[in-house]
Amino acid sequence: MFKRLIELILFSTYAELRAERARSYLGLLWWVLDPALMMLTYWLVFDVFLHSGGPNYIPFLLIGLTLWQWMKSCMTHGGYAIWSNLVLIRQVRLPPLMFPVVAMLSDTVKFFCIFALLLVILWSMGYPPNITYIALPPLFVVVLLFGAGIGFVIAAVVPLLPDLRFVIEQVLTAVMFLSGVIFALPPLPSPWNLLTELNPVNVIMDASRAILMHGQWPNWIALGKVTLVSIVVCAIGSFVVAKLAPRYPKLAD
Amino acid sequence: MSDVLVELHNVGVAFNTQRRLAQGRFWALEDVSLTLRRGERLGVIGRNGAGKSTLLRVIAGILAPDRGTVRRGKVSCQLLALALGFTTHLSGRDNAILSGLMLGLRRRDIEARLPAIREFSELGDFFEQPIATYSSGMNMRLAFSVAMQVEPDVLLIDEVLSVGDAEFQRKSGTALRQRMGEGHTVVLVSHDESQIAALCDRVVWIEHGKSVLEGARDDVFAAYHGDMRANGAAA
Repeated sequence: MFKRLIELILFSTYAELRAERARSYLGLLWWVLDPALMMLTYWLVFDVFLHSGGPNYIPFLLIGLTLWQWMKSCMTHGGYAIWSNLVLIRQVRLPPLMFPVVAMLSDTVKFFCIFALLLVILWSMGYPPNITYIALPPLFVVVLLFGAGIGFVIAAVVPLLPDLRFVIEQVLTAVMFLSGVIFALPPLPSPWNLLTELNPVNVIMDASRAILMHGQWPNWIALGKVTLVSIVVCAIGSFVVAKLAPRYPKLAD
Repeated sequence: MSDVLVELHNVGVAFNTQRRLAQGRFWALEDVSLTLRRGERLGVIGRNGAGKSTLLRVIAGILAPDRGTVRRGKVSCQLLALALGFTTHLSGRDNAILSGLMLGLRRRDIEARLPAIREFSELGDFFEQPIATYSSGMNMRLAFSVAMQVEPDVLLIDEVLSVGDAEFQRKSGTALRQRMGEGHTVVLVSHDESQIAALCDRVVWIEHGKSVLEGARDDVFAAYHGDMRANGAAA
């Protein structure tokens, strides 16, 4: 049963990526073009028009958006996965948690394509590979755990309360602006400084820029705290999905 | 008894009527009891909206009962769902694998059955094409061919005895009847009494979410028809 589930998850991930590629003329190119266009927009607004970018803004922005998009898609794409598969859930007995997992895996594959391109851009801009790249795999694990934790919690409740989707999009936009994804936040007065100091996204942003731009080791203690929190949130999310699982087959989509 | 595969005791299943904060509840099944033994072919009869399809989903383990108990031995119960998980931009082959995995097959088993699926579905080279290019008839042929490869301990069938054009209907109907005749345990829901009469040895009669009578086919049919005549006379 467990082996079949792994096979089903892997094949569903392949099917999802493959179907996505087939849906548009440019196919795979959109995995890269889509984030590239978004980065272009932010660069125009914040650097060219508002002159608020400062030195090194382009690598700063590219790293921030690449990591953020991955986290965000785990939270939304993964978060809406049970809700968008209710038709299937009504017809066959499958563990509902597999749907967010499939969504997150396919987003992770896409992230690695974009990240490979990001590395090439960074190297060509004068940010060469360095020894701290060793810290990238553990950093990725932290990002995935964090995105998955939030994604599982969202996935659990959205089928029951689809209205939440409208709130989630807005909250995530706010989080993006408050987490140093697009611009470095100025020192905030108390108590607002807690928003940056206790913010896991901010920790992840700092860590990835330290590695990729400055060749510095990330703040392991801060990353460790994010990991712990993420594991707890993952556990809570999985638990709530398991609790609510009997209700999903009865829901209309 | 060891050959009892599934047992339902006074099972009720309630649905919420609307997605609103103040929700009403609707009992699709109110009080259903039945026993399914190994090798048995159980038919479910009842009027529209009696709860027949909900009952199948309870036996399949998709719906958990809100009251009463379901006891299931260590057996797999699979609803014969057509086109389960089909994705339009994937090829017939990929959809067959995906659907087969969802229906409970291991990857290697479904891979081994791909030639049979391709053969039975009569798709030829279209098997490698995205199903977006298929006609609805081709789609159903593929769906049925995949579903036929699944071999659960208990096969649950909801009205899909035959699909496609006239010729494929004969072929699919024959294949399914053959499967049912091979000693598999089957639960069949159908409007078509003649099908149930031909294929099932025991019948359970469901009315307004309650099991009225369960027993040998002819006894249950006699009572069911008597009730219909009585209701017809009253009306």
